[in-house]
Amino acid sequence: MGEPRAARLIETALRCYPARWRRRHGEEAAELAALLIRDGTPAGSIALSYLAGAAREWLTPRPSRRLRLAACALLVAAGSLGVSAGLLPSTAPARAAVTGQSHGPAYCRPGPPEPGPGVIPAMGGPHVSGWETGHGRAC
Amino acid sequence: MAVSGRDGEAGQDVLRRVGEASVLILISLADGPKHGYALIQDIKELAGVELGPGTLYGALDRLERLGLIEPLPADDRRHPYRITAPGAAALRVHLESLERVSAAGRLRLQLGGI
Repeated sequence: MGEPRAARLIETALRCYPARWRRRHGEEAAELAALLIRDGTPAGSIALSYLAGAAREWLTPRPSRRLRLAACALLVAAGSLGVSAGLLPSTAPARAAVTGQSHGPAYCRPGPPEPGPGVIPAMGGPHVSGWETGHGRAC
Repeated sequence: MAVSGRDGEAGQDVLRRVGEASVLILISLADGPKHGYALIQDIKELAGVELGPGTLYGALDRLERLGLIEPLPADDRRHPYRITAPGAAALRVHLESLERVSAAGRLRLQLGGI
């Protein structure tokens, strides 16, 4: 492999590292590669070693990256909790309306069980499913 | 997360999980500071292992994060590294652990008559 081509190959491999790494080791790594090539190490194997190192560098969690991940996880958790909390009060009246009960949920009301699994409209009543009435649920 | 000198002295083998390359680098730095190219040459000579440059820089960063080595002021473009006191203590503990395992292995081979 020609010298300029080998240098281009190494340069491309080194460009795969994060910028922080390149600022710290970039020049030294290029010089080390040149010395190893001069000693007879194939440029391809040096480039491969740098590519594997770059992959490890991106995949290894750093403390700052860990902090960012934890912050993101907290935000997602808080967001989903907020959505759930927001849905609870909005769905309760809707359920009450569906069951046709004005005071509290039907499944907690003492008395005989609702006819289930549902009253067929043709038989004179509204179609209410067992799930909506809470039939079979414990209070 | 740096390793304190006392961890090494307390007998905890912090090098058990850092990998062979990191241990070889510490052994190479035990007799004085070296930069990347000198480390590769020395490790090839002492252990017959050819460290790839990508592996070398990964191990150097890991050891530096653990506080086991430290960079010295750059000499031209090359950064020499030297072993720290906690690094030397950790290496000592690791080598003693390897010696114990090695002795046990040799003894078992004798007892097994293989």
